[in-house]
Amino acid sequence: MNPDAAERTSVAQQLRAVVRGFLTARVPSAEARRFLDPGQRYDATVWSTMADQLGLPSLAIAEEYGGAGAGWREVAVVAEEMGRALLPSAYFASVVLAAGAIAAAKDDAMAHELLPRLASGRATATLAALDDDGRWDHATFALTATDAADGYRLSGTKTFVFDGRSADVVVVAARTELGASLFVVDGASPGLTRTPLPTLDPTRPQARLEFTDVSGRLLGVEGQAEPALARTFDLALLAAAADALGGADRCLQMAVDYAKERVAFGRPIGGFQAIKHNLVDLYLEVEFARVAVEQAAQAADSAQFAEFSMLASLAFAQCAQTYALVATENIHIHGGIGFTWEHDAQLFFRRAKSTQVLFGDTGFHHERVAAYLLGRTDSVH
Amino acid sequence: MSTTTPPSIESFRADARAWLAANVAPRPRRTEIRWGAGSDRVSLFRDTSAEEERAQLEAVRAWQRKKFDAGFGAISWPAEYGGAGMAPEYEVVFRQVEAEFVTPMIVEALSISVNLEARTILHLGTPEQKQRWIRSLRRGDELCCQLFSEPGAGSDLGSIALRAVRDGDEWLIDGQKVWTSGAQFADIGYLVARTDPHAARQRAFTAFLVPMHADGVTVRPLRQMTGGAAFNEVFFDNVRISDSARLGEVGTGWAAMMTTLAYERSGAAEGLGMAGDELVDRLVRTAAHNGRTEDPVVRQRFAEFYGRSRMRSWLADKVDAQVRSTGIPGAEGSLLKLAYTRELQAAGDLAGSLIGPAMVADTGAWGTYAWSAFVSGVPGLRLGGGTDEIQKNTVAERVLGLPREPR
Repeated sequence: MNPDAAERTSVAQQLRAVVRGFLTARVPSAEARRFLDPGQRYDATVWSTMADQLGLPSLAIAEEYGGAGAGWREVAVVAEEMGRALLPSAYFASVVLAAGAIAAAKDDAMAHELLPRLASGRATATLAALDDDGRWDHATFALTATDAADGYRLSGTKTFVFDGRSADVVVVAARTELGASLFVVDGASPGLTRTPLPTLDPTRPQARLEFTDVSGRLLGVEGQAEPALARTFDLALLAAAADALGGADRCLQMAVDYAKERVAFGRPIGGFQAIKHNLVDLYLEVEFARVAVEQAAQAADSAQFAEFSMLASLAFAQCAQTYALVATENIHIHGGIGFTWEHDAQLFFRRAKSTQVLFGDTGFHHERVAAYLLGRTDSVH
Repeated sequence: MSTTTPPSIESFRADARAWLAANVAPRPRRTEIRWGAGSDRVSLFRDTSAEEERAQLEAVRAWQRKKFDAGFGAISWPAEYGGAGMAPEYEVVFRQVEAEFVTPMIVEALSISVNLEARTILHLGTPEQKQRWIRSLRRGDELCCQLFSEPGAGSDLGSIALRAVRDGDEWLIDGQKVWTSGAQFADIGYLVARTDPHAARQRAFTAFLVPMHADGVTVRPLRQMTGGAAFNEVFFDNVRISDSARLGEVGTGWAAMMTTLAYERSGAAEGLGMAGDELVDRLVRTAAHNGRTEDPVVRQRFAEFYGRSRMRSWLADKVDAQVRSTGIPGAEGSLLKLAYTRELQAAGDLAGSLIGPAMVADTGAWGTYAWSAFVSGVPGLRLGGGTDEIQKNTVAERVLGLPREPR
């Protein structure tokens, strides 16, 4: 390891310790549980502490736009710790999706206007990219934008928008006559209806957004949004993978701890090979997930875009599958108590199952890896 | 290599590369490898004839000697035993650079002796034993095999029954060992014998360095299911050895054996045949050659295999770095061994899908039937060096802190 890499590793370790210390001390598991009741808002004190004292939203934003100019590797550390704590937060939608898309759009004026607000945490934003089919690939961009006399007007629907109801600013993927384009819309715009969707995972609220002749400002070059969206998707995969890693690691710890303490047939159940060996299989998957996230996070800050896309899919596929597996086995190893409403195992399970389907399934990600390894193919597209 | 201040890593790397370039040919780059050219051997176990094995062993011994005499054969070993006395990082650098060149194929009889047994003697031997054996083993002049397993003691090494009975300054050894690589070439055998029939396993055994040419030692080849004979059975018929051949105190054989097994696991993915990039590369070429790269099912399975192979190799690098910084091989080696054998299992399955009947019936086509030896070898790797179940127990108890098995 060269000195720069070693230094960065130690900075990342310090960041992890700070974030974990903060989340352990300030965010009880009751915080995620609170969201089981509809209509909850994110804890404003937790957000302002993360923004003002820890500077977490600013990490991957360039210094010229008011950020800390650290990198996505650091964001991955934060996302992993938030996943471990099961923190309901605006972080993913605002810092990863919206700030990621704004930076990727390479629109200096808009970046100067918007990113400092997101970096400081004074505003939150989200990305409205998906149609009802929920597919990140081959988006049809059914929502249209037309160039009217007083600027662009947006009409149509976006679904599965994280924090769609609470975000101050919405970055919207739409189709114009020139093709896929990005627009910035004020969350309080006239003509914008934001309807919360009931969600399996209450800690990541989603909404459907209906646009009726809503005013939007172009972000980047009209008709050329696809590279920025592709980059944003890769970053979303990295952060979601890291979140899943944190959650899976926590579930494994819960299961191991319980297996040591629960006695059945006169022995701690962790002494039975059926349980013991299952836990080792889960541990291997978690360790695989960890190295995959480390590799993808390193590549995120490099200029090797094709390699990063592949690694992001490799890591996401591993982490999403592992989280779902470990969250499921955690319930099983806990037995009946793990299936109760009061036990926290269900909260992790909800987030795990949602993660598994929100960003493309395993087959989709395996195809992205295969394209890197074996070349693209006509039979799939 | 007698300098007191070590060279920088980079200047060491340059020296190593220059020396290798002067002595062996560079390895052709992947893109230069042509389908159908060279060997298509992918076996996991030795399936060559005894004569071929002896010839390969002599070639790799000569190479080991050459490296040793140039100062690259015992880089991180103490100078008093002919080592260069440098930090372990240099050893890693040399291994990386050596991989850029074509060197004689590794033979278990030598790799076990040079790595595991010499390391164990360095750890446990008396000053006389270290003086006598380490330089000789590291240089490949003499070879040491490892005698742990018995017909009645595989996973449960606590059942070792081969007896050593003290007779004054000597010991009488009687019993049988099995699954011994390289016994037919070895000068000494690192043997664990029961010296107390009643004690608990932590006190019941004692380790010895037995001369393999002593009267009463019989070595017979053991043919494994792949067809070759990579192992031996070794019989000891009241073999008389001196007490000076004892390795460590009487009753400490269990600890000695555990130390060696930990070394073995930490290197489990090294030199066991192909894995990782090489395996992926060969399978990609097989898919391309057979026109299967567009098949969506093949693509899915490839991606999964590739992902798991990469993750196993990243994890191995990480564990390697930890072992280097702490000096202690931990239970992570067991996790890697599990992952490694699963990778090989998956590779064999994938090869079968890509190749079809030509993997199991020899049509003479390059790169097809050779895989039958690979798939037949996988069951053995799941057993050797600790079965999957033993590895899982080790990880569960030592990493996850779960209750120990009843003994």
